[in-house]
Amino acid sequence: MLKITNLKATINEKLILKGLDLDIKPGEVHAIMGPNGSGKSTLANVLSGKNGYEIEGEISFNGMDLNELKTEERAQKGIFLAFQYPLEIPGVNTNIFLKTSLNSVRKARGEKELDTLTFLKLIKEKAKELNIDEKFLSRQLNVGFSGGEKKKNEILQMKLLEPKLSILDETDSGLDIDALRIVADGVNSYKNKENAFLIITHYQRLLDYIKPDFIHVLSAGKIVKTGSADLGEQLEKTGYANLS
Amino acid sequence: MKQNYDFDIEKIKNLSQEEKVSRQKNLDLFYESGFPSKQVEDWKFTDLNLIFNKNFDNISNEVNSESSKEFKVIENFEHNFIFLTNGKIISTNFDHEEKSKILIKDFNQEEVKNIDPSNTLALLNSALAFGGFSLEITKDYKLKKPLIVYNCFSQDLKNKILNNKNSIKLNEGSELTLIDYSDNNTQNNFIKNTVDTISLDQNAILKNVLIQNSNSNGHFYKYIKSSLEGGSNYENYILSSGLKLNKIEIEINLNKDNSSCSIYSALNLLEDQHQEIKTRINHNSPNCKSYQKIKNVLNDKSKGIYQGKIFVEKIAQKTDAYQLSKALIVSDNAEFDAKPELEIYADDVKCSHGSTSGSIDSDAVHYLMTRGISKKEAVKLLINGFLNEALEKITNNELKIFLEKILERQINGH
Repeated sequence: MLKITNLKATINEKLILKGLDLDIKPGEVHAIMGPNGSGKSTLANVLSGKNGYEIEGEISFNGMDLNELKTEERAQKGIFLAFQYPLEIPGVNTNIFLKTSLNSVRKARGEKELDTLTFLKLIKEKAKELNIDEKFLSRQLNVGFSGGEKKKNEILQMKLLEPKLSILDETDSGLDIDALRIVADGVNSYKNKENAFLIITHYQRLLDYIKPDFIHVLSAGKIVKTGSADLGEQLEKTGYANLS
Repeated sequence: MKQNYDFDIEKIKNLSQEEKVSRQKNLDLFYESGFPSKQVEDWKFTDLNLIFNKNFDNISNEVNSESSKEFKVIENFEHNFIFLTNGKIISTNFDHEEKSKILIKDFNQEEVKNIDPSNTLALLNSALAFGGFSLEITKDYKLKKPLIVYNCFSQDLKNKILNNKNSIKLNEGSELTLIDYSDNNTQNNFIKNTVDTISLDQNAILKNVLIQNSNSNGHFYKYIKSSLEGGSNYENYILSSGLKLNKIEIEINLNKDNSSCSIYSALNLLEDQHQEIKTRINHNSPNCKSYQKIKNVLNDKSKGIYQGKIFVEKIAQKTDAYQLSKALIVSDNAEFDAKPELEIYADDVKCSHGSTSGSIDSDAVHYLMTRGISKKEAVKLLINGFLNEALEKITNNELKIFLEKILERQINGH
């Protein structure tokens, strides 16, 4: 599904990713762990199409050259990034945002756009699954939401847009244990043989709930080690220091 | 600069000899200084003389056409209406109301007195005005539905100036929502110079909404002078995007205790549009409140201006005055100027003002794009979010939805 070959990314003349390889197949859950400054969020940003990066190397997503696609096209084709810090957007109503988003994606996929009533019915169902109070949906997007509410809102968007590849950038940070469980349940209930996950995290704790097939350790812009789920527990004990 | 106009009292029909003399006096006073240029402090950001010279040939006040063109009222929004062509009443409809409670007639030009001689456009207005309406609501009557004043224009106004005066009086305890709705998609350059006088008696409530419904080559100036008695409330909502040039000058006199006023604007300026909002709030009495929130989005080569002054008299203790201007500058070629002023002579007051301008948050655009929304739509969502705040205090849901739709259309460029 996603094949990254020798990816290099530079921002402000600083080389952050220094030749990264990654291969994710449908149905797989990959976790990327690594110390601060290793390039984890850069990888998420680059995959989402954020401006400002100079890119070298190949990123192929279901046979398409990702570098050729605009940010919104990546989303329409099935890449979803759950932000580490979801933005607060004053004045923009959450429901209107969600409807605009869903219909943009549906339109691009050649599906019928949803009218307001159908949309509201759908979003209420999805919100309920994630234990999100309906009143958040009529508020301004993420404005005044707690950290946990913001993260749940990200997962709500994921479930609404039904992406093929979901990238979760430190979704566990700022979550208490109950919210963590809800988020993990949300991810697990969406997981199937057709889609894949790339989970970026510092800690093992999210991986206790969402079982990865592979764990990669990112250090200084490269993947230095790849292993099975056990690697996470090992890292929790020994730290990253001995790896690079 | 050459005098680019030719005004003549004789072109106005049905004037008494006496009226001609008084109008001529005002015209002579106008001729002494002509249209204001940027050398006049009040016009430093809007050089009217220059703009008129550039866009008009020999402006004349001769307006012949009074034909009532076919008009369409807005559907799916219950309202009363006054229909004006070139400022003159063509028809009225108050079917939603008790008709005996509403007095509507042509404006009586002879009632006009005390023109501020420093405002040359008001002088010109007093010299050349015709048409206009006077509206009075009787004591304690609260209109059930909003009143839309449709401003329509004939097609022969190229290089013409229209001068109108209107007056609105709300007696004690009465309530009105008045929507001043300008519908002129003409490509003809013309000028409209309007003076509105508003008076609110004790505990009266007026919501005044200004809407421009289409892109137009109209050059508008509107001067609103209002006076408020105790406990009355006056709210303004300015949604006048679309005009080539627009200057709205609002003077509000809070004359008695516990009167309050607010001004909200939501403008999305495109191309080379130029809009100025100038306000002066006079706190003449204690315990009054004023609130201003001015929001401008500047696209293309547009120019927006806000000049706002809060004046607090010595006796006006416990004044609560707030003023904020926020501009979103979308294009490098756009410009926004703000001149907030406080002049305070009382010592126990709460006054604050602020002015910010910034560009579109590119991280927010990126966030929206990662959700499949195109850049263009994302920017529109953010602009809408920015401007919509001006409508958040409106409690009447029907009115709010109506105005949200207008605003959305204006953000889409009509």
